[in-house]
Amino acid sequence: MNQNTDLLTLRSVSKSYGTVPVLHDIDLSIRDGEFLTVLGPSGSGKTTVLRLIGGLEPLTSGEIRLDGQDISRMPINRRPFNTVFQDYALFPHLTVSGNVGYGLSVRHIQRKEIARRVAEALDLVQLGRFADRFPAQLSGGQRQRVALARALICQPRLILLDEPLAALDLELRRQMQVFLKSIQREIKTTFLFVTHDQEEAIGMADRICVMEAGHIRQLGTPHDLYYKPNCEFVARFFGENNLVAGKLGAVQGELRSIETALGRLVCSISDQPHLKAAAEGASAYAAFRPEALHLADAKDTDNRFSGTISDMAFAGSSTVATITAGADNAAQRLRLRVPSRVDGSALKSGEAVSLSFAPHEGHLVLA
Amino acid sequence: MSEAGSTQPAERRLSLLVTVLAFALPVIFVLVPLAIFLGYSFFSVDQGTIVYGLSLGNYVRFFTDPVFLPVFWNTIVLCVSVAIICILLAYPAAYFLTTLKGRWRYALLMLLLVPLLMSYVIKIYAIRSILGLNGFLNKALVALGILQEPSTLFVFNMNAILLTLTLLLIPFAILPIFLSLERIPQVLLRASDDLGASGLQTFLRITLPLSLPGVASAASFVFVLAIGDFLTPQMVGGISGFTFGRILYSQFGTAYNWPFGAALSVALAIVVIAAILVGERFGRNRGTSV
Repeated sequence: MNQNTDLLTLRSVSKSYGTVPVLHDIDLSIRDGEFLTVLGPSGSGKTTVLRLIGGLEPLTSGEIRLDGQDISRMPINRRPFNTVFQDYALFPHLTVSGNVGYGLSVRHIQRKEIARRVAEALDLVQLGRFADRFPAQLSGGQRQRVALARALICQPRLILLDEPLAALDLELRRQMQVFLKSIQREIKTTFLFVTHDQEEAIGMADRICVMEAGHIRQLGTPHDLYYKPNCEFVARFFGENNLVAGKLGAVQGELRSIETALGRLVCSISDQPHLKAAAEGASAYAAFRPEALHLADAKDTDNRFSGTISDMAFAGSSTVATITAGADNAAQRLRLRVPSRVDGSALKSGEAVSLSFAPHEGHLVLA
Repeated sequence: MSEAGSTQPAERRLSLLVTVLAFALPVIFVLVPLAIFLGYSFFSVDQGTIVYGLSLGNYVRFFTDPVFLPVFWNTIVLCVSVAIICILLAYPAAYFLTTLKGRWRYALLMLLLVPLLMSYVIKIYAIRSILGLNGFLNKALVALGILQEPSTLFVFNMNAILLTLTLLLIPFAILPIFLSLERIPQVLLRASDDLGASGLQTFLRITLPLSLPGVASAASFVFVLAIGDFLTPQMVGGISGFTFGRILYSQFGTAYNWPFGAALSVALAIVVIAAILVGERFGRNRGTSV
């Protein structure tokens, strides 16, 4: 299992339903052994990507290669992939062990061998005691684990997971995230996980592929996407960025300035050559995280502007202040996140404040 | 508040009325007649008048007379055969329907159910003319060279009853099987494919077991309707096609022995109830919903 070799490659894959295009010329490489999450809002085409790879639907054009071999036209039951379906799709007339052993029994593997591997798989998902139950007698989380065991027992090259946690409540979802990730590490199989929940994606993925309107917007590590979004969509979709529109200014080494309604801001452009190359005066956004914003003190000379606190919202471990900054005709709403304190925040609603963020904590996004 | 107070008792009275009706109608129109029947089966007939004295004579006669039990048994065998043939023909038809998309599926289903709207008697006449010695079936078989001359194999006998009942009742088999097939979530079939099963394996291991409840209700439907039918045997059965329904009919008609007829009806009702219970037992899905 070498994370640097490509297991599966999608080459200019397109898909239309009738005349409605849902995927436009997708290129994507899935590395062997990685946990890749495809993230996007509903209608972004993320589930279609999974269905095309799984063979549930034919491609309109392009090709899918497994170890360099074109498998675009390989029938679903020959592909060495298994799917964990959104609503589990367990067979209601079979017991847990019947469900889990299904993939083996259709391959005419000996009963003894099936029983051994089913027991092994059920142990892995901690459901050994439930082997003789029917799916209707299990809770949502248990069904989820049966579906996972059923998919991984065939030792597929790739496990496709279609929003498998969507039906679970928050607490269970968090547990399952940790569980899925630990199983993936243990069996070292490649996981392709589709979700619309960015928190889920950040928590589990080695790499995230962000999709919107049938296009891949960005592919990278959770850290990259969080701190170096390459477009407005990713910047807005990922967490709560402050985005301030403006025109690009001069490049100063690893930094570049941008003229905005809040004055001249300076942001980092390290490792982002396309920002260095962009023409001066081009439309762009300065993007910075609510936790990067802070009350300015004497040391802060760059990225300094004033504003008024319009609202304070206590959110448990942190408190979020909504701030109106800039001139009246171009007022910007910004968010500032500070750690909560037992004796209440030092900030008060209605208070005028001077704010700043460090240049290396801000970045630029082309509009 | 006062307005609500004035409408509430009226609403309550209405819902009470509906509840009473819901229970009373089946009691008055189903259970009471059945009870009267059961009562009659213990009476007897003397010189054409009913003697209202309780006796088990009718049941003794049913079990000891060499005529009734064999006919009873043959009729059950006949109706089981009808049910089996109906299932074997209806399953592929229903399965084919579920493979159709959208409007075609329901248009074709309607077409298969249209015969239900036609008069029963007219259908029997039509089938009779097809089955006759000079009927369409014989002519076709001779024309195709399968038979040398018209056969009496399906003219006014048990075979004719079997064929006619099957033709008449097949829509009752298609509908429940179609519904149970249609209820199977497509994602289960995809999951089976995904796990490496071939089309045949998916059918045998997923589709077929999940549609068995529909098959069971179809079989019990057809069986119950077939065993209660006396008109079809009367019209296409001739002399040799003698069924229990015809005996029953004659007890209430020509023989004018209502008490004995009632006893025979009780025997029939027990078989029918047993068939419904069996159908219901197998009709329930193991492990229940998805």
